[in-house]
Amino acid sequence: MHIGLGELLIELTLMPLVAFIVGMLMVLMMRRVGARLQRRVGPPFFQPLYDIIKLHSKETQISHGLIHDIGIIMAVGGYIAAETLLPVPGMNGIAEKGGLITLLYVMMIPSLGLALGVGQCANPNGSIGISRALTAMLAYDIPFVIVMAGVAFIYGTTNLVEVINIQQEGGIAAWGAVQMPFMALAGLFALQGMLGKQPFEVYVAPAEIATGPMVEMGGKYLGGLFVMQCFQLYTASVLYVTLFLGGGENWLFLLLKAFAVLLIPISIAFLFPRFKTDDLVRLMWKWPVLLGLIGLVLINYR
Amino acid sequence: MKEFPVPVQTAEDPSVKKQSGNIFSNVFDELVRFAQSRSLFMLHYCTGCGAIELPPAMTSRFDMERLGIQPMVTPRQADILLITGYVSVKTLKRVILTYEQMNAPKYVIGICSCTVNGGMYWQSYATAKKLNDYMPVDLYIAGCMPRPEAVISGLRQLMEKIKIGEANSWQDYFKRYDYYLGNQQRLFGETWQTPTDIIGESKHYSLHTPETEGEHTRLLELHQRPLEPLEMRLGLSEKTEDR
Repeated sequence: MHIGLGELLIELTLMPLVAFIVGMLMVLMMRRVGARLQRRVGPPFFQPLYDIIKLHSKETQISHGLIHDIGIIMAVGGYIAAETLLPVPGMNGIAEKGGLITLLYVMMIPSLGLALGVGQCANPNGSIGISRALTAMLAYDIPFVIVMAGVAFIYGTTNLVEVINIQQEGGIAAWGAVQMPFMALAGLFALQGMLGKQPFEVYVAPAEIATGPMVEMGGKYLGGLFVMQCFQLYTASVLYVTLFLGGGENWLFLLLKAFAVLLIPISIAFLFPRFKTDDLVRLMWKWPVLLGLIGLVLINYR
Repeated sequence: MKEFPVPVQTAEDPSVKKQSGNIFSNVFDELVRFAQSRSLFMLHYCTGCGAIELPPAMTSRFDMERLGIQPMVTPRQADILLITGYVSVKTLKRVILTYEQMNAPKYVIGICSCTVNGGMYWQSYATAKKLNDYMPVDLYIAGCMPRPEAVISGLRQLMEKIKIGEANSWQDYFKRYDYYLGNQQRLFGETWQTPTDIIGESKHYSLHTPETEGEHTRLLELHQRPLEPLEMRLGLSEKTEDR
């Protein structure tokens, strides 16, 4: 498929914008589900938007230096770049040029940007938080990479557009989750780690290290991180849908699938306490890796 | 009876009714104020018995989150500083340090009668009696202790104040820093200083008035020691090695 430059520019603008709006709905869903599980009413519909507007309208602001500013821009920008590599119905952006491996790299930029920004704050809680975040990244990236390898192996390509096409042409029987259930299970572990939700919520830990990387972030910085959270939820769930649930035939199905996928980590998150960092690494390198390797072996005997 | 200066601003103050002729910017300001009133991050400094009334206000019975109020853990992230009970002199230092770290617009709420007038600790040598001597307080919720309903109705009043743009008492701390600093020095001694440069910030945010500086800030400059960054070192400190 060949598209003109103007059309491409529109797509590159629209894809992050749509991702942001859907991401805000996902944040809303996360908070509503948490509230319902705790038998509360939960926040109103526009609450994520109010939070972001409020944080960006703070009148005094403390910056700890240039890297602090750049770190937040990297954290949000990394995800904006990731959205353009993630094909959605009707819009492919630069997904065909990028592919799975580029996306894997781009999705690490936010964590690194956050690490840079938090590093300059020189807050001990922030430093502990970011060291935990990078350790957690190391933990969940091993099963994640195994899953990526399995996906690339089974579809014979790392091009996400083709991955979606192959799954949609074959129907439900060709979906990644049916073809490689062990991989899909390992992917769920990686998804939970990637979102940093409760059993693996080592680096936020509000009661222990005062929200870790976010400890010195106020006003616009925290607003940037709230925007990042919207993108993060969207990217992780849509990537999972793309790899295992056949992508989206149209927007309705894509959103249904993405929200359903996101419901799994969210419901788990509000029911469990969290692991210690070393326990997280041990668990991540044991069970999901084992599942992923079994999945890799089974792919050969399909 | 002695007249106390009232630090809370009223709507008659010309700095509050600042509306430009541009209708779009007015609409934008209104939107921002609405969002600010509907999203309040709360840092509760739970000093006294009033803290016990907050969990029911936050959890399933009264659920503050439906009003957009949620707890936050650090002063940088928070909008509301909630002081729930008596403040001892030692605690007040921490409260002021916390307050100065918050990003404006910031609101202080004093819960329980102890923050209003000392309450049952009136005769105590170790408690600060009126919170608004040391920092501008937006709202008091009186009672010993106020029930969660009272806390929530107080918070709704604050939301109304923010929506009409009257919750500006944070500017008062910059505009009349000398007054607050004087009260702080009376309690903590002449050498009291905080890491935050309020005078510099008031100039930066153009909130500097003749009352920002005065005899108390001159006293502060006399005693002020420049802040030095903490030394970062890995491994054992020298003290431990000596042993």
